Amino acid sequence: MTRKLVVSVALLAAMAFAAPAWSQQTDAAVAQARAAGAVGEQADGFLGFTPNAQVSADLRGRVDQINIRRRALYTQRATERNVSVNEMAAAVACEIFAGRVAIGERYRDEGGAWRQRTAAQAVAMPSFCPQ
Amino acid sequence: MRAHLLSRPFILGIGAAILAAGCIPVQIQAPDEPIEINLNINIRQEVIVRLERDAQELLQENSDLF
Repeated sequence: MTRKLVVSVALLAAMAFAAPAWSQQTDAAVAQARAAGAVGEQADGFLGFTPNAQVSADLRGRVDQINIRRRALYTQRATERNVSVNEMAAAVACEIFAGRVAIGERYRDEGGAWRQRTAAQAVAMPSFCPQ
Repeated sequence: MRAHLLSRPFILGIGAAILAAGCIPVQIQAPDEPIEINLNINIRQEVIVRLERDAQELLQENSDLF
């Protein structure tokens, strides 16, 4: 019992130290894919792959990891606020769509269609977002 | 003697028919229009308004994920 606890604590500590270095790497590869239009933000609060994108196994893994960690965040906060995970994720999507989609990046609207933010055209906000 | 309906040749005939039907090539055609997947988000807007601060917090505290 005590031994199990010690192992768990040690594992958690190891993850806490390992995570920052790993996530910085993730940022670079995923940011590059976002700029290239292979990966984009979705109205459901998660990252997705655009159709016909050439996605390496490495990139897929990184994006999956981000989505898994996002889901954990959404789930935790949704539980605290007594709302559904989808709603917490959607609220985050509203913030992302309002300010985190750069010009040239692609995003997926609530209908499931992929669009591109251009200099001339602002991001189309999902209908569930506050005006 | 009258051939019974469930005679051996009859059953064999049905078997052959089923087998033959299985051999008809089935053509599957890809749709011309792109497949659009509805993300199907069931959202209460008043809840989203209430969660605005939480959402902003999550973004700020987890810059590696957003």
